[in-house]
Amino acid sequence: MTSISSLNFVHKLGKFGDYYEKKDHELLKVSEVNGLLIFQIAKYNKSKFDVSKINIDGLNLPSPLKSSSNLNTRILWFGPDNWLVFSNILDLLAKEKKQFKEENFAITDISNSRTIIELEGNLVNEVLKKGCPLDINNFKEGDCANSVYNGITITIDFISNKPNKVRILGLRSFGESLHHSITDACLEFGYKAI
Amino acid sequence: MLYIKCPYCGYRSQKEFAYGGDGTIKRPELNQNISDEKWDEFVYFRKSPRGKHIELWHHIAGCRQWFQVQRNTVTHEIFQTAKMGEDIK
Repeated sequence: MTSISSLNFVHKLGKFGDYYEKKDHELLKVSEVNGLLIFQIAKYNKSKFDVSKINIDGLNLPSPLKSSSNLNTRILWFGPDNWLVFSNILDLLAKEKKQFKEENFAITDISNSRTIIELEGNLVNEVLKKGCPLDINNFKEGDCANSVYNGITITIDFISNKPNKVRILGLRSFGESLHHSITDACLEFGYKAI
Repeated sequence: MLYIKCPYCGYRSQKEFAYGGDGTIKRPELNQNISDEKWDEFVYFRKSPRGKHIELWHHIAGCRQWFQVQRNTVTHEIFQTAKMGEDIK
């Protein structure tokens, strides 16, 4: 399996759009997040297992439309009895797998199947509003939501309010289009690709 | 544009959903003899009511769950949404 990111030849570093006469802190920052372990946890409908007993890197599985996180790991609610785990700890799945009995859960390593774009800056919400139908102003730190951005299915992870930072996750095969859509929406405000 | 209440995610734009057709169709029982006419009716024939209608929607760009929607096909007013298997009054 290749470890080359889908944005390897697309994400160019530098300043773009209307960045003239603007200070760095006024610009949006766009970066790619890669090299993470990503796996999906799906609990079977017939399973009666109590998911509050699950503990991954010290985190419980979050409630609907929420995420739970620490410095290394983030867990997003992805649907009923369905979660996505992202972690810098690349052997986390091997360590935690014994909690997930085969009769209760399907665990799938999807580390190579996602593109993650991180946006930071005061105007992040404006960029999201350009392509996404969610009521963005109602979301805050610790929320997450699946939606669309210019027709591309995405998951938005609202990482922090101060500074305003979100991660936009799309399928790897849509990564280039998603990157184009996001950076195109950022041009008006000026952005720094890092 | 419809604004649909997903039973799992709350109110979302129609852009996130896919329409799934009549929600009242029942698949014939398994392992039962069924006439070609009945099977034909189940597979192909649908009513096209004017007014209140129970239909299926799929939150395809959200939680990816199927659910039921009671909608007026004339005004597009949505009266109720419910998870699969729940009753719509």
